[in-house]
Amino acid sequence: MGNKQTIFTAQQLDAYQDCTYFTRKEILRLFFRYRDLAPQLVPLDYTDQPDVKLPYELIGSMPELKDNPFRQRIAEVFSEDGEGNMTLDDFLDMFSVLSEMAPRDLKAYYAFKIYDFNNDDFICKLDLVKTLNKLTRNELTEDEVRMVCEKVMDEADMDNDGRLSLEDFQHVIVRAPEFLRLLLFDFHKHN
Amino acid sequence: MTHYSNGSFYNPAYHDSETLELDRRSARMPHHSNPYAQEEPPWQAGRTTAFSTVMGQRGHADHGSRMDPWEGRQEDSRRGQGSLPMGPLSTHPQSPPWQQTPHRSSFQIDSTAYHDASTLSRFPTTFSANMTMGLRGMTMRRMSMFANGDPSHLSITEVAIQNELEHEEQNLVKDLIACSTKDRIHGIRKLPMSYEEKKHIRSQVLAFKSSKKSRHLSCFADCSENVSLSFRRCGSSMALARQTLALWQGTMKEIGGRFGTSVLSYFLFLKSLLMLNIFSFLVNFAFITIPMFAYNHLPQIPANVTFRGLELLTGAGYFNYTVMYYGAYSPETIMGLLDYNMQLAYFFTIAAYMGLCGASIIYSMASSFKMNYVLSDPMAGGSWQLLCSWDFSVTNEKAVRQRKNNLRIQLKETMSEKIQRKGLTPAEKMKHFGIHLGAWFISTSLAFGCGSAIYFLSQYEQQQTADKDDWSLQHEAETLLVPFVVSLVNLVVPLFYSLFNKFELYSNQRRQIYALIVRNVILKMSILGILCYFWMNEVANKFSCWESMVGQALYRLVIVDFFFMMLGSFFGEFLSNVIGTRLIPRLGVPEFDVARNVLDLIYAQTLAWIGIYFSPLLPVIQIFKFLVLFYLKKVSLMQNCQPPLRVGRAAQMKTIFIALLFFPSFVGSLSLVAYTSWSLTPSKHCGPFQGLNNTFSVVELWITDLEGISASTWVVWIYHKVVRSEIFYFLVTIIILFITFIFWQVTQGRKLLIILLRQQIVNEGKDKTFLLEKLQTLQKSQPTQQSRSRIPKQQTKRRSGGSSTGVRSNSNAMVQTFLAGEQGSRGNYSRDVPVPSDISTSFQRIPIASDRQSSSDAPILAMQGRQRAEVHNYSTSSTLANPLVQVMQARQEHDRPSDGMDDGSSSMSGIMMQVMEARKRADEGDGMQARPPATESSVPTTSSALIQAMLARQQAQNEYDDGY
Repeated sequence: MGNKQTIFTAQQLDAYQDCTYFTRKEILRLFFRYRDLAPQLVPLDYTDQPDVKLPYELIGSMPELKDNPFRQRIAEVFSEDGEGNMTLDDFLDMFSVLSEMAPRDLKAYYAFKIYDFNNDDFICKLDLVKTLNKLTRNELTEDEVRMVCEKVMDEADMDNDGRLSLEDFQHVIVRAPEFLRLLLFDFHKHN
Repeated sequence: MTHYSNGSFYNPAYHDSETLELDRRSARMPHHSNPYAQEEPPWQAGRTTAFSTVMGQRGHADHGSRMDPWEGRQEDSRRGQGSLPMGPLSTHPQSPPWQQTPHRSSFQIDSTAYHDASTLSRFPTTFSANMTMGLRGMTMRRMSMFANGDPSHLSITEVAIQNELEHEEQNLVKDLIACSTKDRIHGIRKLPMSYEEKKHIRSQVLAFKSSKKSRHLSCFADCSENVSLSFRRCGSSMALARQTLALWQGTMKEIGGRFGTSVLSYFLFLKSLLMLNIFSFLVNFAFITIPMFAYNHLPQIPANVTFRGLELLTGAGYFNYTVMYYGAYSPETIMGLLDYNMQLAYFFTIAAYMGLCGASIIYSMASSFKMNYVLSDPMAGGSWQLLCSWDFSVTNEKAVRQRKNNLRIQLKETMSEKIQRKGLTPAEKMKHFGIHLGAWFISTSLAFGCGSAIYFLSQYEQQQTADKDDWSLQHEAETLLVPFVVSLVNLVVPLFYSLFNKFELYSNQRRQIYALIVRNVILKMSILGILCYFWMNEVANKFSCWESMVGQALYRLVIVDFFFMMLGSFFGEFLSNVIGTRLIPRLGVPEFDVARNVLDLIYAQTLAWIGIYFSPLLPVIQIFKFLVLFYLKKVSLMQNCQPPLRVGRAAQMKTIFIALLFFPSFVGSLSLVAYTSWSLTPSKHCGPFQGLNNTFSVVELWITDLEGISASTWVVWIYHKVVRSEIFYFLVTIIILFITFIFWQVTQGRKLLIILLRQQIVNEGKDKTFLLEKLQTLQKSQPTQQSRSRIPKQQTKRRSGGSSTGVRSNSNAMVQTFLAGEQGSRGNYSRDVPVPSDISTSFQRIPIASDRQSSSDAPILAMQGRQRAEVHNYSTSSTLANPLVQVMQARQEHDRPSDGMDDGSSSMSGIMMQVMEARKRADEGDGMQARPPATESSVPTTSSALIQAMLARQQAQNEYDDGY
C-alpha cells in the first residue's frame, strides 16, 4: 500500500475521517482505487493538495458505476463541477454517501438529486420518465410509461402539485425500509 | 420543516422545459463564481435578504407586528434606504391605523435583523435534525438560485446570497461547536454538502474550539485535545479491526452484487444464526464441559463400546458416553480452589443462554419491526417500484440487465393487476374463496396427517428399542428411520404446497408468499410438536437415561436434516437448473427460493434449541452444519440460480423471518425446556440432576444452603419474595398489561394524528395549486397592465430607494412573491411574511371586483376569508388586528367611483384595471409630483411595479382621505 505518511498528512487524514464515513485504511484504499483509474494523472503525494480531476469517462468505467443505469447522474451529482469530473474529494464523498454507514436522510437527499435530472429540486414527470427509461431499457410503450408515471405521482405526491419535492420523496422512502440497503455500493469487493 | 427549497422557481413553465437541463452546468457552481456579479442597489439587496431569510423569522415578524406605530416608523426612517419601498407610507405622521399593517411590519425584516448576532435562535438548539434540514435547505436554495443561468431571471444579488450563506454557515458552526466531539463529527458527516464545504466548516469549528481553549489552561487543553485525538484514532483503528474480522464480508458483497438484497438476506440470516450457535457453544463449553474436563470427571466408557463410525450419523453408541449428552455429566460438586456445583452450573448456563437468546431475538425483532412495518405502508407499489427498487449494489452486468427486465415485467404486472381487479364478479370471488378454503383444508390435514404418521412410526420404533448398552450396527442404523422420514416429509410436502399455490389465484404476491410460509410453519411445528410430545410422555418413562435418548434423537434429526438440506439444494437448484436449461427451456433457470430456505434454517435452529438441554454440545454440530451450508448454498446459488424475478419487499420478509424464529421456534423450544426442567423427573441414574424430583429443585436446594449464610440473605429474600411469589407475577402482569394498554392508546392517537397531518399536506397542496393558478392568470394578464402602466412614478421610485434595477424579470419577481407567500402558508413561519401583502392585497381586491360584478368566485372568497383569518390569528394587538380589513374597506370605498369602469371586464382584469386606476389616481393626486420612472427604457419590473402600484394606491387613498 505504500507509505501512508507520504500520501496524506495526518491532518488531512483526520479531516477525511471526520467528514466521511471511512476509516483511515479505507480512505487510503479508496485513494489507490482513484489513482488506479489514471496512474499518470494522480500523484502519489497529496500533501500539497494538487488540483487533479479525473474525467467522467474514467469515473464511469469503475466497476461500481459501469453497469449502473444512473452512473452519469451519480457522477454529476457528486462532482463539484456538475459534469461528472471528480476530484479525490468528490470521489471520497460519493463513496461515503453510498456507504453502509451513511444515514437514511443523507442517502435520501442524494437519491433525490440523482433522480432529479434537470436539477430543479423537484422530481417532475419528465424526471420520472427518464428514470423509468433508464430502469427498463426503453422497452415500455409510451402509454405504459405515462401510466406508470401517473401512478407514481398519484401515490407519492402528497401535496398534489404535480411533482415530487424532497419531502414527498422522503415519504416514499420512509415507507420503503429496504431503501437504505439498496442505495449502497461497496468498494470492498473490488479489492 | 425549514428545508423547503425556498429559492427554487415555482413557475411550471420552467419545470416543463427540457432545455433547462443544460443549466445543470451551473447548478453546483460555488456561490463565489456568480458571473452576474454587479453592484445592486442596496434596497434590493435588503429585499432579497428579506426574502431569503423569511424562514425562521417568525419571532421577529411577530415582534414587528406588535410594535408601536411610532416606533416602527422611526425605525423605518432610520433604516431609510435599507428597507423596502413601503417606507414612504410610514412617514406620514397622521397616518391612519391601517398603515401599521402586519404586512408592512413584516417588511421590516431586513439586514438589521439579519445581522443580529442573536439570531442563533433561528436554529433550534436541538439541532441534530434541524441543522441538516436547514443546511439542506440552504444548499438546495443555493443550487436553485443558480440553476437558472439566464441573467434576466437572476434577481438575487450575489451580495445577498453570500451574506445569507455566511450567516447560515455561522449558525451551523455555532451549533456544531455547542455539541460534543462525537456529535460534531456525526453532524459534519451528515451535512449534504461537498467535501470541500464540510472541510471548511470543520476547520472553522476546530479553529473556534482551539481559540476558545487557548483562553483557558492552554497546556491542559492541548493535552486533552491530543488525548482525545489519539483516542479517536484508536477508535477508528478498532473499527478497522472489526471490519477485517467481519465474517464473509467479501462473499456477502458478491452475493448482494449479483442477486440483490433479498437473496442476501438469507445469507445474513444464516450468518446470524451461526453467530448465535457459536455463542451458545462457547457458553456451554466454558461453563459446563470445561469444569468436567478440568477435574477429570469424565464419564466412564464401558469396555465393550467402541467407536464404529456410524455414531457420527446416529449419535448413539460410543457418543452416548461422551460429554455430548446430558447423561455424561456428573451431579457432584467439584471440590477444588472453588467449589463448583455442576447442577447449578448446568441449570444456570442453559437458563442464561436461553434468556440471552430470547433478549437478542426480541431486540432485533423489535427494531426490525419498527423499521419495516410501523413506518411502512401498504402501498400498491408503483412509486416504490420506480423510485426505491433499484439496487445500487448490483454491479454485475448480466444481473443489471436482468433486473431491468424484471422491473419492466413487474411494472407491467402491476398495471394489468390494477385493470384486472376491477372486473371480479361475485361468482368468481366465491370460486377463489372456495379454492383457498380447499387448499387450506388439504394443507392443514396433510400437516396433521404427517404428524400422526410420525408419531406412530416413533412408537413402533421405540418398541423395537431395548434399554441396553451395546447395540448392533443394524439396530443402530434403524434408529435413523424416524429422522429420515421426518426430513423427507419436510422436503416433499412443501413441494405440494408450492403446487397448491400454482392453482390458487392470489390477488397479490405477498399474500401468496404469506400463505406458503404459514402452511410450511404449520407443517414443521406439528411434526416437532408430535415428536416432543412423544419424547416427554413415552421416552421419559421408558428409558433409564431418557435425556440422553432424547439428545440422540435430536442429534439424528439435526444430522439427517443437514443431509436433506444438501439434497434439497441439489434437487431444488441443480436439477431444476439442468432441467430448465437442457430439457425444458420453458421452465428457465430456477430462482433461489428465499422463503423455503429460511424456513429450513428456522427449523434447524429449533432443533438446536430444543436440544440444548439434552445435549449441551449440540451447537458444535450446528456450527459445522451452518458453515458447510453457507458455502454449499453460495456455490449452488452462483452456479444454478438467477436473480429473483420479482423485487420483493426484502426488509419486510426479514422481519417476518425473525418473528417466526421468535414465535413458534424460540418460544416453543423455551417452553419445552422449561416444561422439562419444572415438571419432568430427571433420570435416576445418570446426568447432573439424578435423584431430584425435578430440575428446578436444584435452585431450591441451593437456597436452603444459602439460608445458613448471613451474607446472602438477599438472595434468599429474592427467591422467596420474587421468584416463588404469585403476587409478584400478578403485579408484573398487571403493570405490563397497563403499559401495553397505554401504548396502544398512544398508537391510536398517533394514527389519527398521521391521518390529520396527511390531510393537512393535501390541503396545503391544494392551496398551493390554487395560488399557482392565480399567479399564472396574473402573469398572463400582465402585458395588459404593463402597456397601461407606463405612467411614470418617479416619486415612489425615488423614495423607495434608488435606481432602477435593470434586470428584474417580472415573472421571477412574481415567483418570489409567491414563494414568500407560500413560505408564509407553510405554517412554520409567520403568516405575515413580507410579500404576501402583495398577494393578499391582490386577493383582497378580487372579491371586491367580483362582488360588484356578481360573478361568484367561491374559492377566491374562501381564500380571502382564510387570509383574513390568518391575519386575525397572527397579529396580536387588537387595534392592529384588522388593519387589513380596514384597508379593504377603505379601498372599497375608494374604488366605488370606478364601478362603471370595471363593469365590463373580468374579475382578473378588473384587478389590473383597479391597480391602473389607483396608480393613475395616485398620479393625479400627486398632482405636480414628478412622474415615476416606469418608462420602457428602464425596464420596469412588473413585480416591483405591482408593489409600487399598491403603494401608489395606498398613497392615493391617503390623499383621497386627506382631501375629505
